[in-house]
Amino acid sequence: MSTALRDLIANPNAAELELIARYGMLPEDARRERAFEAFAKGGLPHRRVEGWHWSDFKASLPVIETPAQPGTAQDPLPADDAVLFSFTPTGFTWAESLPEGIRVLAKPEAQAFGASEDMPLGALAAALAGGKTKPGTLMIEVTGQDLPRLHFRFSGAGEANFARVQIIVRPGAKLAVSESYLGGAGFTASLMEFSLQAGAECSRTVYQRTGKAEVLAATAAVQLDEGADYRQTTLAFGGKLTRLETRLTHQETGAKATLNAAYLCADGHHADITTEVRHGAPSCVTRQLTKGAVLDGGRGVYQGKFFVPRNVGQKTDADMQHNALLLEEGAEVFAKPELEIYADNVECAHGNTSGALDANQMFYMRQRGIAEEEARALLTEAFIAEALEEAGELEDVLRVQARAWLAR
Amino acid sequence: MLKIENLTATVGEAEEAKQIINGLTLEVPAGEVHAIMGPNGAGKSTLSYVLTGRSGYEVTGGSVTLNGEDILSMEPEERAAKGMFLSFQYPVEIPGVPVMTFVRTAMNSQRKLRGEDEISAPDFIKKSREIAKQLKLDAEMLKRPVNVGFSGGEKKRLEIYQMMMLEPNFLILDETDSGLDIDALKTVAEGVNAMRSPERGMLVITHYQRLLDYIKPDKVHVLSAGRIIKTGGADLAHRLEAEGYEGVVGEAV
Ligand SMILES: Nc1ncnc2c1ncn2[C@@H]1O[C@H](COP(=O)(O)OP(=O)(O)OP(=O)(O)O)[C@@H](O)[C@H]1O
Ligand SMILES: [Mg+2]
Repeated sequence: MSTALRDLIANPNAAELELIARYGMLPEDARRERAFEAFAKGGLPHRRVEGWHWSDFKASLPVIETPAQPGTAQDPLPADDAVLFSFTPTGFTWAESLPEGIRVLAKPEAQAFGASEDMPLGALAAALAGGKTKPGTLMIEVTGQDLPRLHFRFSGAGEANFARVQIIVRPGAKLAVSESYLGGAGFTASLMEFSLQAGAECSRTVYQRTGKAEVLAATAAVQLDEGADYRQTTLAFGGKLTRLETRLTHQETGAKATLNAAYLCADGHHADITTEVRHGAPSCVTRQLTKGAVLDGGRGVYQGKFFVPRNVGQKTDADMQHNALLLEEGAEVFAKPELEIYADNVECAHGNTSGALDANQMFYMRQRGIAEEEARALLTEAFIAEALEEAGELEDVLRVQARAWLAR
Repeated sequence: MLKIENLTATVGEAEEAKQIINGLTLEVPAGEVHAIMGPNGAGKSTLSYVLTGRSGYEVTGGSVTLNGEDILSMEPEERAAKGMFLSFQYPVEIPGVPVMTFVRTAMNSQRKLRGEDEISAPDFIKKSREIAKQLKLDAEMLKRPVNVGFSGGEKKRLEIYQMMMLEPNFLILDETDSGLDIDALKTVAEGVNAMRSPERGMLVITHYQRLLDYIKPDKVHVLSAGRIIKTGGADLAHRLEAEGYEGVVGEAV
């Protein structure tokens, strides 16, 4: 490795050196270089970096290696009727026969990533996606309405899995997207970009379940044009460290976003749900509901921010709720809901709670003969259910997965 | 059937613990209905929680057996599987869990603990329909989350619905009459009377003799300051209603 490359990151750990080496092996590309530099400026984000305090990637990722015991890679999201795109550490496959209304371009080059400074791990995915077997950028253009769901699967054993996908939903088009992050790779970083043009609709369902050894950063950047409608539902079980981050901008009047998530963390699992919504146009609506339940040794992180600038954010209607259940002593939840509002004519609300299961409810259920663990599972499922209600045809699949976790 | 001997119990944690049950002795033989009356704060609900194993209620002395078996060492769900049922003074709301799901889960959990087979879905629905009809409960109500948004009287009726579904063999009714309108009181009492059988015992906690006009007790006990201070026949309830505790017991309670 040349010294010039090596110097890109100050005090690199072995993982960062490996990332530099991987970058050095990719063909030269000015956009790729800019993305990598944006990542390299701070390196792997760590606890002293704002927004990363509770999710320290530098500490959790000392080296990049294949996990000795990867999580089971069963994908519960059905792909039979969907168009499947599969990213593994070493390759990429997809159906290639597409219905009318969907165009796919697997470009070898990187594309410019404007917000790379704000999303260092998104920038990293943009910089390291590609190589001989994988696209630098997978570009998808959607013009139709009654289309099969696009399903993206990230799985397979290996050291690292990088992917970048850009989806443009043309005016009036409708799309359903799902993503399964199943681990297998020691480190997975993806960047999903969604651009919804006027009146377009998109629902996105994210399922994340990995073993205790995997580190994951799935970053999404979403832009909504006039009257666009974006609905996102996430179910996350965490891993060694997993962060599902969404940055959404309402950039034209009357757009609507729903950002729901549920996280369930067992011992040794850390799930981070981070979102930032910018109301960069008047009369836009955001609804956000995040529910979590954590066991002893598990850790949930929720960071949500609504940013409403003075001149452009008038008549914003936004609501952010986060509720967490600490199921056992030793469970940890860290939450930071933030409203940064400069416009005066807005309706913004937020709520944030965390606590144990209600002792009255537990006793009532047990008095009727429901065993303690089962009572706990029923109450917890009921508690998180609302956060999965917008997942459409995938709601039941997510419920079943949550229930199975609770029944353990 | 249910035998309580010299029971003492505290409520609250550690230093805050307060003795509420003070040497209580009471026996309800199989087939009998006993009423417990007593002033506010006497410890009636506390007794019902101690009998059903609520945490935070600690037994410090004495014994309780159901058909000869010590129940104090059992978890609440084990006691339920043995047939203990408490109709709560204040039924609890369970958001997100529909009544039917709840009762079916409870029934099958009890059966599992007893080593029995689960009830089939058609059998369950048939049974539920019959009981709902008897109690004049709207079928739509049973699809709603347990007690959420139910009126006071509806909650009490739902307690009796659950009791009739689960067919327990020892019933504790804690002020089931409060909150019920006149017709509902009659409907509920009919439900309870339908449960009377030679194998079943009942403890009916109430402030008013009116309920006891419908559910005729074999005995009436007066509970005061955590002990039974007087026991009599069904007429005792009438005397209490007419003369008050002081008049009957001969002292302020
Ligand atoms: N968790 C608690 N901590 C401290 N004291 C308690 C607690 N729970 C109950 N008590 C007290 O125990 C006493 C008995 O209460 P209990 O609810 O058993 O009365 P009750 O006989 O059912 O009264 P009512 O007729 O009003 O229903 C009361 O003085 C009450 O304040
Ligand atoms: Mg009471």
